[in-house]
Amino acid sequence: MTRFVVVPGALALLPSYGGIEDPVADLRAAALAAVRWLGGAPRVVASAQGGRVAAALVSEVPEAASDGVLVVANGSAKRTEKAPGHLDERALAFDDALRSALLAGDLSHLDQDLALELWADVDSLVWLGQEVDLDPATVQVDYDDDPYGVQYWVVRMEGVWR
Amino acid sequence: MTLRLGRHSFADDATLMMAIVNRTPDSFYDQGATWAEDKAFERVALVVEQGAEMVDIGGIKAAPGAEIGAAEEKDRVVDFVARVRESYPGLVISVDTWRAEVGSAACSAGADVLNDAWGGADPELVDVAAEHGAAIICTHTGGATPRTRPYRVEYRDVVRSAIDDTVAYAERALAAGVAKESIVIDPAHDFGKNTFHSLELTRRLGEMVATGWPVLVSLSNKDFVGETLGLPVGERLTGTLAATAVCALAGARIYRVHEVVETRQTVDMVWSIAGRRPPRRAIRGLQ
Repeated sequence: MTRFVVVPGALALLPSYGGIEDPVADLRAAALAAVRWLGGAPRVVASAQGGRVAAALVSEVPEAASDGVLVVANGSAKRTEKAPGHLDERALAFDDALRSALLAGDLSHLDQDLALELWADVDSLVWLGQEVDLDPATVQVDYDDDPYGVQYWVVRMEGVWR
Repeated sequence: MTLRLGRHSFADDATLMMAIVNRTPDSFYDQGATWAEDKAFERVALVVEQGAEMVDIGGIKAAPGAEIGAAEEKDRVVDFVARVRESYPGLVISVDTWRAEVGSAACSAGADVLNDAWGGADPELVDVAAEHGAAIICTHTGGATPRTRPYRVEYRDVVRSAIDDTVAYAERALAAGVAKESIVIDPAHDFGKNTFHSLELTRRLGEMVATGWPVLVSLSNKDFVGETLGLPVGERLTGTLAATAVCALAGARIYRVHEVVETRQTVDMVWSIAGRRPPRRAIRGLQ
Protein backbone atom coordinates (compact mmCIF):
# COMPACT_ATOMS: atom_id res chain seq x y z
CA MET A 1 0.00 0.00 0.00
CA THR A 2 1.09 3.50 -0.79
CA ARG A 3 0.46 6.42 1.55
CA PHE A 4 -1.42 9.48 0.30
CA VAL A 5 -2.02 12.83 1.99
CA VAL A 6 -4.34 15.62 0.92
CA VAL A 7 -3.58 19.20 2.01
CA PRO A 8 -5.08 22.51 0.83
CA GLY A 9 -3.15 24.97 -1.34
CA ALA A 10 -3.58 27.86 1.10
CA LEU A 11 -0.86 30.39 0.32
CA ALA A 12 -0.83 31.38 4.00
CA LEU A 13 1.17 28.16 4.48
CA LEU A 14 4.10 29.69 2.56
CA PRO A 15 6.90 31.08 4.77
CA SER A 16 7.18 34.12 2.49
CA TYR A 17 3.70 35.14 3.61
CA GLY A 18 4.38 34.56 7.28
CA GLY A 19 3.29 37.10 9.89
CA ILE A 20 4.10 37.59 13.55
CA GLU A 21 1.01 35.50 14.28
CA ASP A 22 0.12 32.46 12.18
CA PRO A 23 -3.49 32.62 10.94
CA VAL A 24 -3.39 28.95 9.95
CA ALA A 25 -1.45 27.47 12.86
CA ASP A 26 -3.78 24.48 13.35
CA LEU A 27 -3.91 23.73 9.64
CA ARG A 28 -0.14 24.01 9.38
CA ALA A 29 0.41 21.66 12.33
CA ALA A 30 -1.97 19.07 10.88
CA ALA A 31 -0.45 19.33 7.40
CA LEU A 32 3.12 19.01 8.68
CA ALA A 33 2.24 15.99 10.82
CA ALA A 34 0.63 14.32 7.81
CA VAL A 35 3.60 15.09 5.53
CA ARG A 36 5.89 13.61 8.18
CA TRP A 37 3.74 10.46 8.11
CA LEU A 38 4.31 10.32 4.34
CA GLY A 39 8.02 9.93 4.98
CA GLY A 40 9.83 13.04 3.92
CA ALA A 41 10.33 13.20 0.15
CA PRO A 42 6.97 12.41 -1.42
CA ARG A 43 5.85 12.76 -4.98
CA VAL A 44 3.70 15.89 -5.29
CA VAL A 45 0.50 16.11 -7.33
CA ALA A 46 -0.66 19.71 -7.52
CA SER A 47 -1.17 22.78 -9.65
CA ALA A 48 1.89 25.01 -10.08
CA GLN A 49 0.76 27.22 -7.20
CA GLY A 50 -0.26 24.26 -5.03
CA GLY A 51 3.13 22.73 -5.78
CA ARG A 52 4.83 25.67 -4.08
CA VAL A 53 2.75 25.06 -0.97
CA ALA A 54 3.61 21.36 -1.07
CA ALA A 55 7.31 22.09 -1.51
CA ALA A 56 7.24 24.47 1.46
CA LEU A 57 5.62 21.82 3.67
CA VAL A 58 8.01 19.09 2.54
CA SER A 59 10.99 21.35 3.23
CA GLU A 60 9.87 21.57 6.86
CA VAL A 61 10.13 17.84 7.58
CA PRO A 62 13.23 15.65 7.77
CA GLU A 63 14.28 14.32 4.40
CA ALA A 64 13.84 10.56 3.96
CA ALA A 65 13.18 8.02 1.23
CA SER A 66 9.45 7.83 0.58
CA ASP A 67 7.06 6.45 -1.97
CA GLY A 68 4.20 8.51 -0.54
CA VAL A 69 2.19 11.04 -2.53
CA LEU A 70 1.26 14.55 -1.42
CA VAL A 71 -1.91 15.76 -3.09
CA VAL A 72 -2.83 19.44 -2.98
CA ALA A 73 -6.56 20.09 -3.18
CA ASN A 74 -9.33 21.88 -1.33
CA GLY A 75 -13.04 22.55 -1.34
CA SER A 76 -14.95 25.66 -2.30
CA ALA A 77 -13.78 29.24 -1.66
CA LYS A 78 -17.38 30.49 -1.80
CA ARG A 79 -18.73 29.19 1.50
CA THR A 80 -19.58 32.47 3.28
CA GLU A 81 -20.26 36.11 2.49
CA LYS A 82 -16.73 36.92 3.70
CA ALA A 83 -15.18 34.12 1.63
CA PRO A 84 -12.77 35.09 -1.17
CA GLY A 85 -15.42 34.23 -3.77
CA HIS A 86 -18.37 35.49 -1.69
CA LEU A 87 -21.27 33.17 -0.88
CA ASP A 88 -22.50 30.65 -3.40
CA GLU A 89 -25.47 28.70 -2.05
CA ARG A 90 -24.22 25.53 -3.73
CA ALA A 91 -20.86 25.52 -1.96
CA LEU A 92 -21.82 23.75 1.27
CA ALA A 93 -23.54 20.87 -0.51
CA PHE A 94 -20.64 20.55 -2.93
CA ASP A 95 -18.13 20.34 -0.08
CA ASP A 96 -20.34 17.87 1.81
CA ALA A 97 -20.33 15.61 -1.22
CA LEU A 98 -16.58 16.02 -1.62
CA ARG A 99 -16.05 15.14 2.05
CA SER A 100 -18.16 12.00 1.64
CA ALA A 101 -16.16 11.03 -1.42
CA LEU A 102 -12.88 11.44 0.46
CA LEU A 103 -14.14 9.40 3.41
CA ALA A 104 -15.35 6.66 1.08
CA GLY A 105 -12.10 6.68 -0.85
CA ASP A 106 -14.17 7.04 -4.00
CA LEU A 107 -13.16 10.06 -6.07
CA SER A 108 -14.58 8.85 -9.39
CA HIS A 109 -17.64 11.11 -9.60
CA LEU A 110 -16.34 14.62 -8.83
CA ASP A 111 -18.06 17.45 -10.72
CA GLN A 112 -15.13 19.40 -12.12
CA ASP A 113 -17.29 22.01 -13.87
CA LEU A 114 -19.09 22.89 -10.63
CA ALA A 115 -15.76 22.84 -8.78
CA LEU A 116 -14.46 25.47 -11.19
CA GLU A 117 -17.51 27.66 -10.55
CA LEU A 118 -17.13 27.28 -6.78
CA TRP A 119 -13.38 27.98 -6.77
CA ALA A 120 -12.64 24.48 -5.51
CA ASP A 121 -9.31 22.90 -6.44
CA VAL A 122 -10.06 19.23 -7.16
CA ASP A 123 -8.01 18.37 -10.26
CA SER A 124 -5.46 16.44 -8.18
CA LEU A 125 -8.27 14.48 -6.50
CA VAL A 126 -9.67 13.51 -9.90
CA TRP A 127 -6.21 12.27 -10.83
CA LEU A 128 -6.03 10.35 -7.55
CA GLY A 129 -9.39 8.69 -8.25
CA GLN A 130 -8.22 7.62 -11.69
CA GLU A 131 -4.82 6.29 -10.66
CA VAL A 132 -5.35 4.68 -7.26
CA ASP A 133 -7.68 2.25 -5.54
CA LEU A 134 -8.03 3.87 -2.12
CA ASP A 135 -8.85 1.75 0.91
CA PRO A 136 -11.69 3.53 2.80
CA ALA A 137 -10.69 1.76 6.01
CA THR A 138 -7.42 3.71 6.02
CA VAL A 139 -8.91 7.19 5.62
CA GLN A 140 -8.07 9.50 8.54
CA VAL A 141 -9.24 13.13 8.63
CA ASP A 142 -6.79 15.29 10.58
CA TYR A 143 -8.32 18.68 9.75
CA ASP A 144 -11.75 19.65 8.45
CA ASP A 145 -12.64 23.33 8.71
CA ASP A 146 -13.24 26.55 6.79
CA PRO A 147 -11.83 29.32 8.99
CA TYR A 148 -11.71 31.84 6.13
CA GLY A 149 -14.56 30.68 3.93
CA VAL A 150 -12.46 28.10 2.09
CA GLN A 151 -12.94 24.41 2.86
CA TYR A 152 -9.68 22.80 3.98
CA TRP A 153 -8.97 19.17 4.67
CA VAL A 154 -5.91 17.34 5.79
CA VAL A 155 -6.53 13.67 5.07
CA ARG A 156 -4.30 10.58 5.27
CA MET A 157 -5.17 7.48 3.31
CA GLU A 158 -3.63 4.42 1.72
CA GLY A 159 -4.23 2.66 -1.56
CA VAL A 160 -2.75 0.67 -4.42
CA TRP A 161 -1.84 1.90 -7.88
CA ARG A 162 -4.16 0.74 -10.63
CA MET B 1 23.58 46.17 15.69
CA THR B 2 22.27 44.44 18.81
CA LEU B 3 21.43 46.95 21.51
CA ARG B 4 22.43 46.40 25.10
CA LEU B 5 20.78 48.88 27.42
CA GLY B 6 22.05 48.14 30.89
CA ARG B 7 20.35 44.91 31.98
CA HIS B 8 18.42 44.51 28.75
CA SER B 9 19.29 43.38 25.22
CA PHE B 10 17.36 43.84 22.00
CA ALA B 11 17.67 42.22 18.58
CA ASP B 12 19.13 44.25 15.77
CA ASP B 13 15.76 44.69 14.05
CA ALA B 14 13.86 45.79 17.17
CA THR B 15 12.42 49.27 17.55
CA LEU B 16 11.88 50.71 21.00
CA MET B 17 9.43 53.15 22.50
CA MET B 18 11.04 55.36 25.13
CA ALA B 19 8.24 57.05 27.05
CA ILE B 20 8.92 60.44 28.59
CA VAL B 21 8.30 60.66 32.31
CA ASN B 22 8.82 64.13 33.72
CA ARG B 23 9.57 64.64 37.38
CA THR B 24 9.33 68.37 36.77
CA PRO B 25 6.75 71.02 37.64
CA ASP B 26 7.19 72.91 34.40
CA SER B 27 7.96 70.75 31.30
CA PHE B 28 6.47 72.15 28.12
CA TYR B 29 4.13 69.32 27.20
CA ASP B 30 2.51 68.27 30.47
CA GLN B 31 2.98 71.40 32.58
CA GLY B 32 3.82 69.44 35.70
CA ALA B 33 1.13 66.77 35.37
CA THR B 34 3.54 64.14 36.70
CA TRP B 35 5.45 66.35 39.11
CA ALA B 36 4.07 64.49 42.13
CA GLU B 37 5.89 61.19 42.55
CA ASP B 38 2.70 59.15 42.61
CA LYS B 39 1.53 60.83 39.40
CA ALA B 40 4.86 60.04 37.77
CA PHE B 41 4.56 56.45 38.93
CA GLU B 42 1.06 56.23 37.46
CA ARG B 43 2.50 57.51 34.20
CA VAL B 44 5.11 54.70 34.28
CA ALA B 45 2.39 52.12 34.89
CA LEU B 46 0.36 53.53 31.99
CA VAL B 47 3.19 53.55 29.45
CA VAL B 48 4.27 50.05 30.47
CA GLU B 49 0.72 48.87 29.87
CA GLN B 50 0.81 50.65 26.51
CA GLY B 51 3.88 48.64 25.55
CA ALA B 52 6.75 51.05 26.10
CA GLU B 53 10.05 49.19 26.41
CA MET B 54 11.77 52.17 28.04
CA VAL B 55 11.05 55.17 30.22
CA ASP B 56 13.11 58.34 30.17
CA ILE B 57 12.94 59.98 33.58
CA GLY B 58 13.92 63.62 33.75
CA GLY B 59 14.16 65.99 36.71
CA ILE B 60 14.88 69.21 34.83
CA LYS B 61 12.99 70.70 31.93
CA ALA B 62 15.03 71.40 28.82
CA ALA B 63 14.01 75.04 28.46
CA PRO B 64 15.51 77.86 30.55
CA GLY B 65 14.02 78.38 34.00
CA ALA B 66 14.81 78.31 37.69
CA GLU B 67 18.20 76.77 38.32
CA ILE B 68 18.03 73.25 39.68
CA GLY B 69 21.20 72.09 41.39
CA ALA B 70 22.55 68.56 41.35
CA ALA B 71 21.20 67.85 44.84
CA GLU B 72 17.68 68.92 43.90
CA GLU B 73 17.88 66.97 40.63
CA LYS B 74 18.91 63.84 42.52
CA ASP B 75 16.03 64.34 44.96
CA ARG B 76 13.64 64.38 42.06
CA VAL B 77 15.08 61.41 40.19
CA VAL B 78 17.09 58.88 42.18
CA ASP B 79 14.55 57.47 44.63
CA PHE B 80 11.99 57.42 41.86
CA VAL B 81 14.33 55.35 39.68
CA ALA B 82 14.73 52.88 42.54
CA ARG B 83 10.96 52.59 42.92
CA VAL B 84 10.44 51.98 39.19
CA ARG B 85 13.34 49.50 39.14
CA GLU B 86 11.79 47.48 41.92
CA SER B 87 8.31 47.46 40.38
CA TYR B 88 9.31 46.91 36.74
CA PRO B 89 12.42 44.73 36.50
CA GLY B 90 11.89 44.21 32.75
CA LEU B 91 11.66 47.89 31.92
CA VAL B 92 14.61 49.85 30.53
CA ILE B 93 15.11 52.91 32.72
CA SER B 94 16.78 55.90 31.14
CA VAL B 95 17.59 59.06 33.02
CA ASP B 96 17.62 62.37 31.20
CA THR B 97 20.55 64.23 32.73
CA TRP B 98 23.77 65.88 31.66
CA ARG B 99 25.36 65.69 35.13
CA ALA B 100 27.78 62.85 35.96
CA GLU B 101 26.95 63.12 39.66
CA VAL B 102 23.24 62.63 39.01
CA GLY B 103 23.88 59.89 36.44
CA SER B 104 26.03 57.95 38.89
CA ALA B 105 23.40 58.05 41.65
CA ALA B 106 20.68 57.10 39.17
CA CYS B 107 22.67 54.11 37.90
CA SER B 108 23.27 52.96 41.46
CA ALA B 109 19.50 53.13 41.96
CA GLY B 110 18.88 50.98 38.88
CA ALA B 111 19.03 53.15 35.75
CA ASP B 112 20.14 51.40 32.55
CA VAL B 113 20.68 54.36 30.23
CA LEU B 114 22.04 57.87 30.56
CA ASN B 115 20.29 60.15 28.10
CA ASP B 116 22.65 63.06 27.75
CA ALA B 117 20.35 65.48 25.98
CA TRP B 118 22.98 68.22 26.22
CA GLY B 119 25.63 66.48 24.18
CA GLY B 120 28.50 65.90 26.56
CA ALA B 121 28.34 69.10 28.60
CA ASP B 122 29.75 67.15 31.53
CA PRO B 123 32.74 65.20 30.19
CA GLU B 124 32.65 62.70 33.06
CA LEU B 125 29.24 61.32 32.15
CA VAL B 126 30.84 58.73 29.85
CA ASP B 127 32.99 57.49 32.72
CA VAL B 128 29.87 57.01 34.85
CA ALA B 129 28.19 55.02 32.07
CA ALA B 130 31.29 52.85 31.69
CA GLU B 131 31.63 52.28 35.42
CA HIS B 132 28.00 51.15 35.78
CA GLY B 133 27.73 49.18 32.52
CA ALA B 134 25.05 51.60 31.41
CA ALA B 135 24.21 52.74 27.90
CA ILE B 136 24.64 56.32 26.80
CA ILE B 137 22.72 58.49 24.36
CA CYS B 138 25.08 60.84 22.53
CA THR B 139 23.20 63.86 21.31
CA HIS B 140 24.05 66.80 19.06
CA THR B 141 23.46 70.30 20.36
CA GLY B 142 25.95 72.24 18.28
CA GLY B 143 27.83 73.03 21.45
CA ALA B 144 24.86 74.62 23.20
CA THR B 145 25.03 75.20 26.93
CA PRO B 146 22.44 73.14 28.85
CA ARG B 147 19.01 74.73 29.13
CA THR B 148 19.55 77.43 26.55
CA ARG B 149 17.45 78.19 23.49
CA PRO B 150 19.05 78.48 20.07
CA TYR B 151 19.74 82.06 19.05
CA ARG B 152 20.80 82.75 15.46
CA VAL B 153 22.55 79.38 15.26
CA GLU B 154 23.65 78.42 11.77
CA TYR B 155 25.54 75.45 10.36
CA ARG B 156 27.35 75.01 7.09
CA ASP B 157 25.70 71.57 7.02
CA VAL B 158 23.63 70.65 10.05
CA VAL B 159 23.59 66.94 9.23
CA ARG B 160 27.36 66.86 8.83
CA SER B 161 27.69 68.63 12.16
CA ALA B 162 25.27 66.20 13.83
CA ILE B 163 27.12 63.19 12.45
CA ASP B 164 30.58 64.52 13.28
CA ASP B 165 29.68 65.52 16.83
CA THR B 166 27.63 62.47 17.79
CA VAL B 167 30.11 60.02 16.29
CA ALA B 168 32.96 61.81 18.06
CA TYR B 169 30.97 61.60 21.29
CA ALA B 170 30.25 57.91 20.64
CA GLU B 171 33.96 57.25 20.11
CA ARG B 172 34.78 59.13 23.28
CA ALA B 173 32.27 56.94 25.16
CA LEU B 174 33.82 53.84 23.60
CA ALA B 175 37.29 54.94 24.62
CA ALA B 176 36.03 55.56 28.16
CA GLY B 177 34.91 51.92 28.32
CA VAL B 178 31.24 52.02 27.41
CA ALA B 179 30.34 48.86 25.46
CA LYS B 180 29.97 49.42 21.72
CA GLU B 181 26.47 47.94 21.71
CA SER B 182 25.47 50.37 24.46
CA ILE B 183 26.09 53.60 22.56
CA VAL B 184 23.27 55.40 20.75
CA ILE B 185 23.35 58.65 18.77
CA ASP B 186 20.62 61.30 18.60
CA PRO B 187 20.50 64.31 16.25
CA ALA B 188 18.47 66.13 18.95
CA HIS B 189 15.77 67.93 17.03
CA ASP B 190 15.22 71.51 18.24
CA PHE B 191 18.32 71.46 20.47
CA GLY B 192 20.65 74.16 19.17
CA LYS B 193 18.59 74.18 15.98
CA ASN B 194 15.93 76.15 14.23
CA THR B 195 13.00 74.53 12.50
CA PHE B 196 14.77 74.38 9.13
CA HIS B 197 17.63 72.48 10.76
CA SER B 198 15.28 69.96 12.36
CA LEU B 199 13.40 69.44 9.10
CA GLU B 200 16.65 68.81 7.25
CA LEU B 201 17.83 66.37 9.92
CA THR B 202 14.56 64.52 9.53
CA ARG B 203 14.81 64.49 5.75
CA ARG B 204 18.41 63.23 5.83
CA LEU B 205 18.20 60.95 8.88
CA GLY B 206 19.37 58.04 6.73
CA GLU B 207 22.84 59.60 6.72
CA MET B 208 22.98 59.29 10.50
CA VAL B 209 21.72 55.71 10.36
CA ALA B 210 24.44 54.96 7.81
CA THR B 211 27.11 55.65 10.46
CA GLY B 212 26.20 52.25 11.91
CA TRP B 213 25.48 53.64 15.38
CA PRO B 214 21.87 53.03 16.47
CA VAL B 215 19.86 56.24 16.18
CA LEU B 216 17.38 57.66 18.68
CA VAL B 217 14.97 60.39 17.64
CA SER B 218 13.14 62.73 19.97
CA LEU B 219 10.45 64.43 17.91
CA SER B 220 7.45 64.36 20.16
CA ASN B 221 5.34 67.55 20.02
CA LYS B 222 8.44 69.69 19.51
CA ASP B 223 8.52 73.27 18.27
CA PHE B 224 9.76 72.32 14.79
CA VAL B 225 6.51 70.39 14.37
CA GLY B 226 4.49 73.24 15.81
CA GLU B 227 6.17 75.89 13.66
CA THR B 228 5.91 73.79 10.52
CA LEU B 229 2.17 73.30 10.93
CA GLY B 230 1.35 76.47 12.85
CA LEU B 231 0.00 74.51 15.79
CA PRO B 232 0.38 74.89 19.56
CA VAL B 233 1.47 72.18 21.99
CA GLY B 234 -1.44 69.78 22.30
CA GLU B 235 -2.20 69.78 18.58
CA ARG B 236 1.06 68.38 17.25
CA LEU B 237 0.45 64.64 17.33
CA THR B 238 -0.27 64.23 13.62
CA GLY B 239 2.82 66.23 12.68
CA THR B 240 4.88 64.28 15.20
CA LEU B 241 3.75 60.99 13.69
CA ALA B 242 4.52 62.19 10.15
CA ALA B 243 8.08 63.04 11.23
CA THR B 244 8.23 59.72 13.08
CA ALA B 245 7.28 57.85 9.90
CA VAL B 246 10.08 59.51 7.93
CA CYS B 247 12.63 58.66 10.63
CA ALA B 248 11.35 55.08 10.85
CA LEU B 249 11.72 54.62 7.10
CA ALA B 250 15.30 55.82 7.45
CA GLY B 251 15.88 53.23 10.19
CA ALA B 252 15.77 55.03 13.55
CA ARG B 253 15.73 52.47 16.38
CA ILE B 254 14.52 54.34 19.49
CA TYR B 255 11.66 56.86 19.69
CA ARG B 256 11.41 59.20 22.66
CA VAL B 257 7.70 59.88 22.93
CA HIS B 258 4.78 61.27 24.85
CA GLU B 259 2.21 59.14 22.96
CA VAL B 260 3.31 55.50 23.09
CA VAL B 261 0.39 53.79 21.37
CA GLU B 262 0.21 56.07 18.35
CA THR B 263 3.96 56.11 17.85
CA ARG B 264 4.24 52.33 18.17
CA GLN B 265 1.58 51.87 15.48
CA THR B 266 3.31 54.37 13.20
CA VAL B 267 6.73 52.79 13.62
CA ASP B 268 5.41 49.23 13.21
CA MET B 269 3.55 50.20 10.04
CA VAL B 270 6.59 51.90 8.51
CA TRP B 271 8.95 49.13 9.66
CA SER B 272 6.71 46.64 7.81
CA ILE B 273 6.54 48.84 4.71
CA ALA B 274 10.33 48.90 4.79
CA GLY B 275 10.33 45.09 4.91
CA ARG B 276 11.94 44.89 8.36
CA ARG B 277 8.89 43.54 10.21
CA PRO B 278 6.29 41.00 9.04
CA PRO B 279 2.62 41.95 9.31
CA ARG B 280 0.95 41.00 12.58
CA ARG B 281 -1.38 38.54 10.90
CA ALA B 282 -1.93 38.28 7.15
CA ILE B 283 -4.68 36.18 5.55
CA ARG B 284 -6.24 38.49 2.95
CA GLY B 285 -5.90 36.84 -0.44
CA LEU B 286 -3.89 33.98 1.07
CA GLN B 287 -6.75 31.67 2.10
